[in-house]
Amino acid sequence: MDLLLAAAQVALAPAALVAVMAGCLLGVVFGAIPGLTFTVAMALVVPMSFSMETAPAIGLLLGTYIGGMTGGSVSAILLGIPGTPSAAATVLDGYQLTRRGKASLALGTAVVASAFGGIVSLIIMVVSVDMVARLALRFGPAETFGLLVFGLSTICGLAQKSLVKGLIAGILGLMVMTIGIDEIEGAQRLTFGTVVLQQGVSLLVAMIALFAVPHVIDAFVQHYAGEQKPQEVADVRAELPTIRDILRDFWLMLRCALLGTGIGAIPGTGGPIAAFLAYAHARKSSKRPERFGKGEMAGVVAPETANNAVTGGAMIPLLSLGIPGDPATAILLSGLLIHGLIPGPMLFIQNPGEIYQIYIAIIVAYVAVVAIQLLGIRFFVQVLRVPAHLLAVAVIVMCAYGAFAIRNSVFDVVSVAVLGALAYGLMRVGIPLTPIILGLVLGPAIERDFRTAMILSEGDPSVFVASVPGAVFLGLAALVVGAQLLRSTRATLSDRRTEEKRRASVTPSE
Amino acid sequence: MPPVPDAGERRKDLIAGSVLLVLALAWTAAVWLTVPVGHGVGPRAFPFWLGVGLAVLSALLLLKGLRGGHGLDPPGEGEGSAAAPPVSAGRRLALVATVCGIIAAYGVLMQKIGFLPATVLTVSATLVVALGERRPLVVGGMAFGIALGAWLAFGKLLGAYMPRGTWISLF
Repeated sequence: MDLLLAAAQVALAPAALVAVMAGCLLGVVFGAIPGLTFTVAMALVVPMSFSMETAPAIGLLLGTYIGGMTGGSVSAILLGIPGTPSAAATVLDGYQLTRRGKASLALGTAVVASAFGGIVSLIIMVVSVDMVARLALRFGPAETFGLLVFGLSTICGLAQKSLVKGLIAGILGLMVMTIGIDEIEGAQRLTFGTVVLQQGVSLLVAMIALFAVPHVIDAFVQHYAGEQKPQEVADVRAELPTIRDILRDFWLMLRCALLGTGIGAIPGTGGPIAAFLAYAHARKSSKRPERFGKGEMAGVVAPETANNAVTGGAMIPLLSLGIPGDPATAILLSGLLIHGLIPGPMLFIQNPGEIYQIYIAIIVAYVAVVAIQLLGIRFFVQVLRVPAHLLAVAVIVMCAYGAFAIRNSVFDVVSVAVLGALAYGLMRVGIPLTPIILGLVLGPAIERDFRTAMILSEGDPSVFVASVPGAVFLGLAALVVGAQLLRSTRATLSDRRTEEKRRASVTPSE
Repeated sequence: MPPVPDAGERRKDLIAGSVLLVLALAWTAAVWLTVPVGHGVGPRAFPFWLGVGLAVLSALLLLKGLRGGHGLDPPGEGEGSAAAPPVSAGRRLALVATVCGIIAAYGVLMQKIGFLPATVLTVSATLVVALGERRPLVVGGMAFGIALGAWLAFGKLLGAYMPRGTWISLF
């Protein structure tokens, strides 16, 4: 209890509160602007948090994360364009509601549903995270290696269209992280005799390059393609739903919150999947499924509850095991690392106070998000009118200064430019960027645990399957990759069959 | 339309596969030549096997690109397909170079002439030269607005270090 009170004192101090609110505001704005996701906002915010105390820094990051998850609904409902991928399911009914003149109520309902989903998932997280961490405390390096490989394989396999491309991306991330001085033996690896490469590639430089720079390039390309029509948005305000409306959808919200939390806890899944599953569930369980897609409020409630519930779910593996499930939590992890908080089971022993601060910051963030959305919706509508290429110029400044601020080095700014160009190239040829970032984040730990386990077992590789958890994790990883392999082979075969059929039907007419 | 791999998709696989294969081979060779073996699973093992893994996977991708559509479409036809926005590859490449060049130049400039002048210069030059913006109010407003806003937020509010410039130190 003392710990909780002490944490509250720190987390509710004015500086921390302002930081959470600033983060929420930034998150909502970035989330609301189509093309700029809250992942970009987070990559840009981490360098800013350097000079802050720990509590405000945590608050700023969590606020941006939560604000962004909620902000995506604004443009989804008003423009029919999801501000973030997580809000794509909200478009289906949200935009229809706008066209029927119910934009204000849809926005207000989305805010309430988001906060509800977030708070429910927070409660589940608080209850489960400690248990998972206690279990994970018994893991040695061999089990941790298995767990990390499992985490990485779900991300490379589950969430990507092509297994090969997902794996390539994951390996690229792992490769980049081996550059620099080897942790265990101190050997120079691919530094080419330079000093700047000895400490390796900065994780934050890579994050800004991977997430922010391609967005800027895209905005420039769109500008030249002539797709810069300023959006026509009506003046709206957010209107809170009545208690009766909320009670009517209460059970749906609760089910979607549980669904979102569960999905969020699986690395490699995340907001978009949870939102679409919740939408499908809402339609299936509705008494009037025919009204979905034509402006049914439950079609806004379900995805918005679920995608915000993902935030709490994703925190479970992040805090208890140190495994981020998506880019946003990966950036959150790097932000926590900078402030000396190492997510994983030891966090609960070494920094119990900071854990409470994180919980409190999340609650404050949801209160702030509701307030910001209700009071500031008119301001966001103005932001949506600013052309994308002009915003991109502001993002360039933030990218460059953010990279500079990491260690006051121009080398980092130039690295962002070079890596950004490479990232855009990878994106263009269809290599997903998410597994790269997770490879970057998990890479050093995977190698360290593998090598430590091998040293402890005196070079006997059977150590990795010698214990039940180790064998289970590696088995699951093999299962994920195997299942994906089977699915893609089947898809190729059926593709070939349809193609042959098509050619057979085309040939006679030629 | 059934999900038949179209020519554009195949060309992407070809490009990605061949470039990554070359990268993987160069990486693996560099690791073999420069990183010491060490004891047990030493410093060489991980980068080496990751390089090999990348080589295998990119070879698979290359193979998929070569085999892909059995000469379904003559190459080059996928260029103007509905999915691709009407921006030529050359234009796109130029834009990538422009954006990344701006970021790099801005970084160097920041160090040389200080944050405020560098930001005003970079923002206005980007707007006028790269984006063809001609309204003086927009250019001036954005250049000074972003520069001052960022300077106040980062430098004054957050107390972060702002480069003052080594050539001239204005602020």
